[in-house]
Amino acid sequence: MATTATTDLEIFSEAPPAPPARPRVLLVGTALAAGSASMVLLTLVALYARLRADVIASGEVWLPEGSNLQLTPGGMAMTTLLLSLLTAGWIVQALRNDDRGHALMAFGITLLLGAAYINIVVYGWQQLGLGITSSTQALLIYTITALHVALVGLGMLYLAVMGFRAVGGQLTGRSAEGVSAAVLYWFVTVGLFAAVWYAITITK
Amino acid sequence: MTVTEAPRDAAEAAVAPSLSAPPTGLAAVVGSGDPRTIGKLFVGTSLLFLIASGIAGALVGIEQLDSTGNEIFGADTAVRVFTLHSTAALFLGVLPLLLGLATAVVPLQVGASTVAFPRATAASYWVWLVSGGLVLASYGIDGGPWGTELDAVGLYLAGLIAVVIALTVATISVVTTVATLRAPGMSLRRTPLFSWSVLVGGSVWLLTLPVLAGMLLLAFVDLRYGDGQLMGGSAGVYDRISWWFWQPTLYVMAVPALGIIADVVPVFARRRHQRHSAAMFLIGATAALGFGAWAQLGVTLDGGGTAPWLGEGPWIVLGFLAIVPVLGLLGLWTSTLFAGKVRLGTPLVLSLFAGLLLVGGFAAGGATVVDALDLDGTTWMTGQATLVLLGSVLAGLAGVAFWAPKLYGKLLPDALTRLGGTIVFLGALVAAVPLAIAGTLSQGRFVAGGIGAVDAGDVDTVELLDLVSGIGLAVVVLGGVVVALALVKRRSGEGPGDDPWDGHTLEWTTSSPPAIGHFATLPEITSEAPVYDARHAAAAASTEASA
Repeated sequence: MATTATTDLEIFSEAPPAPPARPRVLLVGTALAAGSASMVLLTLVALYARLRADVIASGEVWLPEGSNLQLTPGGMAMTTLLLSLLTAGWIVQALRNDDRGHALMAFGITLLLGAAYINIVVYGWQQLGLGITSSTQALLIYTITALHVALVGLGMLYLAVMGFRAVGGQLTGRSAEGVSAAVLYWFVTVGLFAAVWYAITITK
Repeated sequence: MTVTEAPRDAAEAAVAPSLSAPPTGLAAVVGSGDPRTIGKLFVGTSLLFLIASGIAGALVGIEQLDSTGNEIFGADTAVRVFTLHSTAALFLGVLPLLLGLATAVVPLQVGASTVAFPRATAASYWVWLVSGGLVLASYGIDGGPWGTELDAVGLYLAGLIAVVIALTVATISVVTTVATLRAPGMSLRRTPLFSWSVLVGGSVWLLTLPVLAGMLLLAFVDLRYGDGQLMGGSAGVYDRISWWFWQPTLYVMAVPALGIIADVVPVFARRRHQRHSAAMFLIGATAALGFGAWAQLGVTLDGGGTAPWLGEGPWIVLGFLAIVPVLGLLGLWTSTLFAGKVRLGTPLVLSLFAGLLLVGGFAAGGATVVDALDLDGTTWMTGQATLVLLGSVLAGLAGVAFWAPKLYGKLLPDALTRLGGTIVFLGALVAAVPLAIAGTLSQGRFVAGGIGAVDAGDVDTVELLDLVSGIGLAVVVLGGVVVALALVKRRSGEGPGDDPWDGHTLEWTTSSPPAIGHFATLPEITSEAPVYDARHAAAAASTEASA
């Protein structure tokens, strides 16, 4: 690879080459992307909480009449995602031990739990009893939860890509940075759902 | 092959059998993941958008010549052209100009072979370009803020969301490059100041741009599926964007601009930057103070906008505090110039102009928070934004002139670049100062009532000031055209050599333009100005030998 140093800098280029660094490019990039995605969702959650507080402070009820925001689907969704934390951690641990069999099983279960979470959220929408156009509250609830479903979908895609690479033998042992990055993103989405769950389902 | 792979080693590429010739012409540009190519595309396109934005701003200024009549547009159209001017200036002009420069220069500065995510960076450019085109096109079909065609307003919002996402992705790539791909031995304290400013400024962009995306997303959903009451419909769209044009968010745009000036000044002073660590702290402080997502118009259920932070302690303190780091940097640059042997090259001249505009803009922000002056919500703030944004543009142009050998393999024509930069500087003053004066006469920001709030006796004066400001923007456009001409007419003939300025940082050890991959091997970096140190060590050794 051509590097043209100026004549003045010969003394500089005579220095012994330093050992190559081992950058965690994908991990850091994923962390930044996850942080940015968090800011989008948390902006909407903060707006939701603020509007709710204003309405309640004025002596009115936040959720419109006829709504049916049940605790059970929300609780199940949270539990499902918490379980997926364990299986996601299992992926990393298994790959570090070069145990591809367990790693693939953990990948599969994590993706299954992600799909189950989406199923629960859609069920919650069906039970909500509000159309998106019916009220501002419904608009906010649908926007926030749909955005989180989209983030989980991205996380599943990321995990699936890394899973396929693990199947192909590209990710093993200590060089499984891509999996760590995907799992980090997954952890962030679960953390975000905790905020959504508390703001919408628990506080009502 | 991984998602983050670096370009193949040149030697390996030479040995490997080639199935087809590498693409040339348009195919080479469209398919390129080379950060230098993408950076140049960002820079060139953003300059065109800036010129278009300046023309729109000049037309709005002329429109306000007579508040009782409409010289060019109807009143409804004028306010929409104003939003086009401001939106294009920021999201299609200033941010991508600085980001493009960072994409091309940062890998060279930190000793990386490429940016962290070259394909994502390339994708971000094309998404930004197409969605920026959609944003502008939406105005043509009655969209944009205050548009009457709801589908077109939706197109504007969707396009702007895509612009924000594209800028976010490109920012992630350059910030990750500085965070992870620095040369061995290059600790954060030894990072060149431009790269440092991209790291800290970009980090705050990454916390702020998504907040804008969230608000725009809600506005889009409200417009499409709600009744438009929550976010105020098309009339409320600009309220969701306007906080980017006032402090503190306005300041975070200037952070990479400060980094450019900080890299140019010591090279043309022919000595090290005075107190490098202090400069890093001051640039970092500017970025931290520039986090302004909290200072935007609030949302209420009936669509009203509130600003509970206005006039409160944090708002006031921040207005004054933000001046301190910029004044500190100005002091360090002055000290560096006085301590060195100054060579008045074009990049330095443009940097000094940019520094003056930025200091003026930050100082004007201090006056805004003084309640007794009653400047908030007036064109004083528009004048302040003009100073900060055009100061950042000038710094970007200084950066283009400085790193032209690495970007284009040629130097820019000195006289033409200096003339263009000087015209932009003078135009910026002529555009901003009359607006600030009109603000002291109570002229409301254009989208917030405008001339209606002015005393009857001052109306003629304010109309004249608005016209002068419009002429100033026209002058800025003229300067931009001259600089664009300089870019087109790059010095022909032999190349400028690898290091025409006697630079201080790693990018000056590469060829002009740099070969793909940039660096084969790097020695351990032991200071923030390794090339400067090596040059002086060589000079000292030579003197000793001759003695």
